[in-house]
Amino acid sequence: MTEQDGTMSLRFKKIIVALFAVAFIAAVVMVGLIEKERAKPEKAAVVYADERSRTCIECHEQKHIAVDWNRQWSQSRHAQKGIGCIACHEAQPDDPDKWEHENFLLTHVPSPMDCAKCHEQIAAEFADSHHAKAAQFIGSLDNILGEVAEGGPAANLGCRQCHGSQVRLDDKGVPIAGTWPNTGIGRINPDHSSGTCTACHTRHMFSKQQAREPRTCGRCHMGPDHPQIEIFEESKHGIMFAAWREKMELGADKWIVGKTYTAAPLCATCHMGATPTQPNTHDVGLRIAWTLRPALSQRQENWEAKRNSMMEVCRECHAKTWVANYFKMYDDAVDLWNTKFATPAIAIMSELKKANKITPTPFDDGIEWTFYELWHHEGRRARMGASMMGPDFTQWHGFYEVAKHFYTKFLPEAEALLPGVSQPALQMPEHSWKRGMTPDRIKQMLDFYQQRYGQKVQ
Amino acid sequence: MENKTPSVPKWLRFLRERIPVNIEVFEELSKEPIPNHMRNWWYCLGGTPLILFIIQAVTGILLTFYYVPSPTDAWESVRTIHQEVPFGWWIRSIHHWGANLMVVAVMLHMLRVFITGAYRKPRELNWVAGTGLLFTTFGLGFTGYALVYDQLSYWAATVGINIAQQFPFAGPWIARLLRGGDQINPTTLTRLFVLHAGALPAIMLVFVGIHVFLLRIHGIMELEASPEVQQTPLTVEEDRAGKRRFDPNRYFSFFPDHVTTELMVGLFLITFLTMLAIVFPAPLGAPANPEVTPLHIKPEWYFFPVFRWLKLTSLPIGMGGLLFAGLAVVLWPFVDAVLRRRNPKNELGTLVGAGAFLTFLTFLLWEALA
Repeated sequence: MTEQDGTMSLRFKKIIVALFAVAFIAAVVMVGLIEKERAKPEKAAVVYADERSRTCIECHEQKHIAVDWNRQWSQSRHAQKGIGCIACHEAQPDDPDKWEHENFLLTHVPSPMDCAKCHEQIAAEFADSHHAKAAQFIGSLDNILGEVAEGGPAANLGCRQCHGSQVRLDDKGVPIAGTWPNTGIGRINPDHSSGTCTACHTRHMFSKQQAREPRTCGRCHMGPDHPQIEIFEESKHGIMFAAWREKMELGADKWIVGKTYTAAPLCATCHMGATPTQPNTHDVGLRIAWTLRPALSQRQENWEAKRNSMMEVCRECHAKTWVANYFKMYDDAVDLWNTKFATPAIAIMSELKKANKITPTPFDDGIEWTFYELWHHEGRRARMGASMMGPDFTQWHGFYEVAKHFYTKFLPEAEALLPGVSQPALQMPEHSWKRGMTPDRIKQMLDFYQQRYGQKVQ
Repeated sequence: MENKTPSVPKWLRFLRERIPVNIEVFEELSKEPIPNHMRNWWYCLGGTPLILFIIQAVTGILLTFYYVPSPTDAWESVRTIHQEVPFGWWIRSIHHWGANLMVVAVMLHMLRVFITGAYRKPRELNWVAGTGLLFTTFGLGFTGYALVYDQLSYWAATVGINIAQQFPFAGPWIARLLRGGDQINPTTLTRLFVLHAGALPAIMLVFVGIHVFLLRIHGIMELEASPEVQQTPLTVEEDRAGKRRFDPNRYFSFFPDHVTTELMVGLFLITFLTMLAIVFPAPLGAPANPEVTPLHIKPEWYFFPVFRWLKLTSLPIGMGGLLFAGLAVVLWPFVDAVLRRRNPKNELGTLVGAGAFLTFLTFLLWEALA
């Protein structure tokens, strides 16, 4: 094959070429097999974990204890940036929540204070928000209902899973059942901070995309008393999202309505999202002018600025008049609830208390349940439906139920306890029709609406 | 009588009418005489960088499909290429190792040309063009390393540009050109990207063109021929007359014999690069952070000797030395000619070359092990 002087003949070279060609094909096949293996989600490369975090991962994998968190984490942005287990779970010797585990000082319950080590501004915004204070419902009517009328275990897996528990530890730093596991958004943590980022950014992927999903908000903002997710799904906004969700760029780092996406606004768009003129915020109340939570809706502190901020978001897609008219209609609906139903109902309940017709103990009298459902369920549905453009929630699940139960249940029950107690309410022009639909009374009522809300009623 | 002239296929006629070039010229070119010593593959190192350049161009284009040359997105796009894009890790690792092999191949080729004296008359200008290819290869290595935008690459680029700034005369201008200002700023990465993916490959193509053109008109130097033959390239007339071509004891044909050798080298290289990619995938460190200077800043290994030299000397001596060494490498054929004119048997040149190469290796290892 080779010449005598050691040089290669053409034939020999051709054989070498053929051999290298086979070797190259074999190498490419090997690359293909590696690629196939890498494509499996559970094999996602864990290349950026620090040494101590690798110890955690390897040990948990070896013992097969809670391994899925590792596999989820390995697909997270944290994994890509080298933010390992230790970065969030590490505790200091003087930390109240320290827990000694395999020669590491750890915490079971990373809190917003841990997240703040990197996400300082976000943690500060969140700490100012109503979300961070959600566990302060303790002592409210809702809390008494859950804790007392229903019972503690119901509250643990019900109310507190959204509002947040107060996490308590045993003397080894291990959380006590009943207080944890808990990812309620206002959770009171062992390090005395409030809130939990994983309420929305579910561990261990901590994904922006998942947090922006309306279903994430809908975990708690749903049901008979605050059905925001159902209202959203009924609204034009929800319909647009369902139709065009692939255009929403939900995973984008810079998620700016009008720039990154235009298909639909989500909960996160209006209440938190960046616009070309506003930065994003984790203080979810910054654009909310009314509180619709109590029986009587109230303007928030500094509500004009908050309203302007929200209207600015709307104006990314809607013209000025559209936005202004919509908010006028929304304010009118809230005012209607406040004046026509909430104010007289609250006054009647106050009269009944004064006359000792109901006891100071909540929920021991039938009318207290009726009143509670009137404002806490039906009244909120009507107002929240109006706030988020859900016509059926404003009407049939809202004002219809309010009117029906106000006239046919609440007022009769109040009259039965204290005859005449509803008369001042029924003297109001809005309720004058109850005294009989004479032409004069109908005209009187229509004139009243026109004067108060500035619109002709047919 | 029937016309017996062989009929020309329609498509060939179409082409000949539109591209009126004598095809025989190409046939002649393919028969370029290659001296017999080139049957040994280790004399074929000149083709190796060219093959690697082609591999780098193909993989580089594929990487550009996903790479984003902005400080905020560069690292993330490299990570995406490596972890998410199908076969991205393979393409990136081949590009990474191809760059390293290219530097090795260029240096070995230069060493062989130096030792065999193939840079001597009439081939001095081809040596100069070759040094142009060497410096362009270094430039591509430097800019490519910076594009990864992890901590090491960011700080290596920062320090590299600061060193370039100290270069006599043109230093401040070069640094400003690379940075797009007095400080590293968002346009710096864009500039490095444009240099790496546009300007430097274009410059390299020009040098490759000159290099190959001069090689073809000089003919490859016959290693074992007399100095008279070595120093007298074929004239066009002699070439056309096939004066040396058909002496099978001295030459063989470019096609198919030498082309097969290059094919062999090419297949070996791509297989070897793939194996390197599998066993040692291209590394990616933590994202660049301009506010955190790493404890140890290291450039790519081929800049180690320069780095060590600058650590050993004061700035003016260091820079002056670099300029002197650079000029000596570029102009060596002319220096050598002067030396040999005085004493034709003078082998000082070989000694200088060996000394320079050993110094290069020593400084490289010194910096690597430091």
